[in-house]
Amino acid sequence: MGANLFANYGEAVAMILFGIGFGNLLLQSNLIKKIIGLNIMDTAIYLFLAEKGYIAGRAAPIVKDGVQSMEVYINPIPSGLVLTGIVVSVSVSALMLSITIRLYRRYHTLDLDEISLRLKREGL
Amino acid sequence: MYYIILSILFPVLSGVYLLVRKEMKSRKNLLWTTGIFFVITAVFVMLALYTWEGGIFALFSLTQRLPILFKVDEVSVVFSVMAVIIFLCAGLFSFEYMKHEQKEKRYYGFYLIAFGVLLALCFAGNLITFYLFFEMLTLVSMPLVLHNGSREAIMAGLKYLFYSLSGAYMALFGLYFIERYGNTLTFSPGGVISSQAAEGHSAMLLCIAFAMLIGFGVKAGMFPMHAWLSAAHPVAPAPASAVLSAVIAKAGVLAVVRVVYYIFGASFLRGTWVQKTWMVLTLITILMGSVLAYREPVFKKRLAYSTVSQVSYILFGLSVMNADSLTGGFLHVLCHGFIKAGLFLCAGAIIYKTGKTRVEQLRGIGKEMPVLMWCYTILSLGLIGIPPMCGFVSKWYLAEGALSSSLYGFSWIGPVILLLSALLTAGYLLPVTISGFFPGADYPYGALEKKEPSWFMTVPVLALTILSVVIGLLPEGLIYYLSQMIEKLI
Amino acid sequence: MDFVQNFPAASILLCLFAGIISSGLKKKAARRVNTILILIVAFLSTCTLLYTMRTGEAFVYVMGRFPAPWGNEIRAGVLGPLVALFFCVIMLLSLEGGRKKLADEVEEEKTFLYYVLMDLLLASLLALIYTNDLFTAYVFVEINTIAACGLIMIRQNGRTIEAAARYMIMSLLGSGLLLMGICMLYDMTGHLLMSNIREQVIYLYAAGEYRIPLLVTIALMSVGLAIKSALFPFHAWLPDAYGYSTVSSAAILSSLVSKGYILLLIKIIYRVIGFDVFYNSRIIDVLFAFGLMGMIFGSFSAIRENDVRRMIAFSSVAQIGYIYMGIGMGTQAGMTASVFHILSHAATKSLLFIAAIGLTDVSGGSRKLVELTGAAYRNKWAGAAFTVGSLSMVGVPLFSGFISKLLFSQAAVQNGTKMLPALIVLGVSTILNAIYFMKTVIRIYTPVESGKYESISFNKMKLYCLTLVFFVVLNVILGVSSQPIVDLIEQGLVMFS
Repeated sequence: MGANLFANYGEAVAMILFGIGFGNLLLQSNLIKKIIGLNIMDTAIYLFLAEKGYIAGRAAPIVKDGVQSMEVYINPIPSGLVLTGIVVSVSVSALMLSITIRLYRRYHTLDLDEISLRLKREGL
Repeated sequence: MYYIILSILFPVLSGVYLLVRKEMKSRKNLLWTTGIFFVITAVFVMLALYTWEGGIFALFSLTQRLPILFKVDEVSVVFSVMAVIIFLCAGLFSFEYMKHEQKEKRYYGFYLIAFGVLLALCFAGNLITFYLFFEMLTLVSMPLVLHNGSREAIMAGLKYLFYSLSGAYMALFGLYFIERYGNTLTFSPGGVISSQAAEGHSAMLLCIAFAMLIGFGVKAGMFPMHAWLSAAHPVAPAPASAVLSAVIAKAGVLAVVRVVYYIFGASFLRGTWVQKTWMVLTLITILMGSVLAYREPVFKKRLAYSTVSQVSYILFGLSVMNADSLTGGFLHVLCHGFIKAGLFLCAGAIIYKTGKTRVEQLRGIGKEMPVLMWCYTILSLGLIGIPPMCGFVSKWYLAEGALSSSLYGFSWIGPVILLLSALLTAGYLLPVTISGFFPGADYPYGALEKKEPSWFMTVPVLALTILSVVIGLLPEGLIYYLSQMIEKLI
Repeated sequence: MDFVQNFPAASILLCLFAGIISSGLKKKAARRVNTILILIVAFLSTCTLLYTMRTGEAFVYVMGRFPAPWGNEIRAGVLGPLVALFFCVIMLLSLEGGRKKLADEVEEEKTFLYYVLMDLLLASLLALIYTNDLFTAYVFVEINTIAACGLIMIRQNGRTIEAAARYMIMSLLGSGLLLMGICMLYDMTGHLLMSNIREQVIYLYAAGEYRIPLLVTIALMSVGLAIKSALFPFHAWLPDAYGYSTVSSAAILSSLVSKGYILLLIKIIYRVIGFDVFYNSRIIDVLFAFGLMGMIFGSFSAIRENDVRRMIAFSSVAQIGYIYMGIGMGTQAGMTASVFHILSHAATKSLLFIAAIGLTDVSGGSRKLVELTGAAYRNKWAGAAFTVGSLSMVGVPLFSGFISKLLFSQAAVQNGTKMLPALIVLGVSTILNAIYFMKTVIRIYTPVESGKYESISFNKMKLYCLTLVFFVVLNVILGVSSQPIVDLIEQGLVMFS
């Protein structure tokens, strides 16, 4: 078990990071910290994928000098997934940030619980 | 064959028509329209009963294995004829009574719909059809309960709704199992439980039977789910309570008949703990209903508790499961139906004319409305079971059935409780008569005025009284008809 | 290859293009594009449905030129087009019913965005229904989330923005878990196409390898999708999101968006993990338990609520509980019941939302139950429709809710260990449903003396009434002749795997 963990230290780190990000997104009440948590969580997943796709000693899957042999390059699919995932997470972060800005303009606070409290008081 | 559909659809559609159409120009128009609807429905029912040639009439399928179908058998004849008579009488009575209530159009609309749904319940040919209309009946009769829209009425309506819905769900619970362990869901005398499928599951099936009994027993006001009756009746308009108590509570009885004798079969339940517990429950209800009625000062509420007690007479008869007790039970269905409808109409007429709702206010009422109070007295005697009234005949059969029952203990405790409850019945019904006709020397005779209600009110009460007397005097034909039916069930 | 096989892919692409085109259009044109789009997609789905019913088997459509296991695929059986068609109908009706409210609540120059979002939402729902590739599913899950967030936010006030923020946070947690699950599955099997993963999973399972990672993966994906579809303990975002957004959004969110995720979960169960493997994991019992709790607690919250929109929203929590209970039973019958309930609840809940708005509009815009007294007399059509919806929710025969209840109970009776809890909770929740829905129905039919609010006549809301009539008819059809639909669902579930 311990040896496995050490051999796959990249994945282990990814999992820990994922946990940290998840916890932040769930538990923080500050919106900006939540968004940071979200990004940590997503990045952890990309780390995991990259770690899975990497084969020691090989190059990135971009055809160089006309060499087309499969033996030279790492698995391209995880890289593709990571790229797609980044696009998704960027757009989601942007949306979250825009919501945060709107809330801040209205309530001058980033604390989501505080905002809920005020909404209740407003009785909307 | 299509008369069955007509006799169900016509009242429902005409009720919906009354609900959605604009307010009529005059009250007279409304009454004429409603009256014609009543009569047409009654004609359709009679035609349906007359032209029926046996077999079943499948309408459509809810799902593959759950067809909606109708048929007519002896039980449907008994219940539907009773329903028609009482609905017509109470309907005629409402023509006058509803003058002092609001929203008459809505009342008649729901009254007609409930009529149609009740007929559908009588003609339902299988359990799923029965369940469907049982739920419908709850929903369409609820507006009758909460008619006057007061907070009290709404709470009573909700109480009625929840009791009935929880009961219906318990029954539905059984439906799933019967679908699995029965040959069919169609009602057939002697039961449908397939002995192969039920092999080794009889303990569970007994639990299911018990759940269904309790569930359907809610409508019949059986202990421990009887509390809705006493809440719902006092707030509903009098003709509506008459119908609720005399016919709609009987829908619960009909349900129990169908479940016990047409789904599980008497032989499956006889001698089991289900039968014994059921008997105990009915006996408790009989006694408790009478005691509560005895202590109740509000007139309509007293009658409602009396219904709790009397309907359980019927259930007791059904639970003993022999020929005599069943004859008594079915006779009491009719007796109690006519008598209790009549009593509620009397109470309604008194409220309408004098506004008096409590028993102690009714001193001298017999001097004010003699015809009505004479009817009341005769009906009361019938309900108590004094010969030669109809209650006597039915209770005689009930007691005889209980005595010949082979169950240890029940054969004597049953008749004792019946007797005790009859005494209590006399105790809660007759004081009204006594103080009504003999108010005592200090009664201000000078201020007495004649308050006899119009014939809209007296004719239905008279009709019901005469019916109950006739059944009491000439029960032979009826008993012969019932015994033929009961032969198939036992 | 038959021409019809192009239709699923074409409908997804059409939606995406329509979204792009609409973003450059004016309000009216965007609306027209959206309506036509929904009609076209409904037509295409019908064709696909008829085609698959005729051939009797699912077909695979290869996107691009790469065959499996490299390329991206679409797979359509009977269930996919059926649900797609149904979703189109509900979406169209919900939009029509809330059109007037939308004009009131959303700024004029932003209305076209609403239709853009709606196009994208439809695209992502269709993709979730049809796709055979897990990663594609993830991407469209995110698109769905973003579109849904936009739908909540389009009506701008503090409540909706806060609701949108909460919705986004919960959704992102869910999709994070889902993505992690997908990556782990990819790690274990080396595939992203569902059918190929399944082969590998069967192999792994038979060989007894990767037991724990497999379990973790199943857990991650189930929990992720459960969060997104607002299963009981994760439902905190739901009442605000459904309660304060504009009414079409609320109807569509509750009846379509959350159902899209559940369908994805069912698809993962059948096509990715395999029914047996999923059944043998303990996760199924967890889903069952949370489903039951949702049924009870959702209803309790609804009873306590005195805001009609939030009450209906809480009722959604209970209904989602029903669906997860069906999934959790782990039988074919339970799954069929769940899928049927997806359709039945979609039809009923959107009807309730649309009818409720008609009632609040004639009560001075107030959503408090007290103010709604007598509202059914002021808006007769909405009152009648609300009653039908309530009766269906309570499970009165002849309406769709009864058939769901029947199917759930039949499924429960066949399952030895889960029979009793399922039946008891079904009973309790029926009663609880009756409490709050019938209470509301009685309230809206309680007459009031003073003419505090004006009543509205049929002529002023022809389109709205027509929508309600369609909804009611849909409900009754599902309730009366459910057998063909149930047959289709059963057939579709077989084709699913």
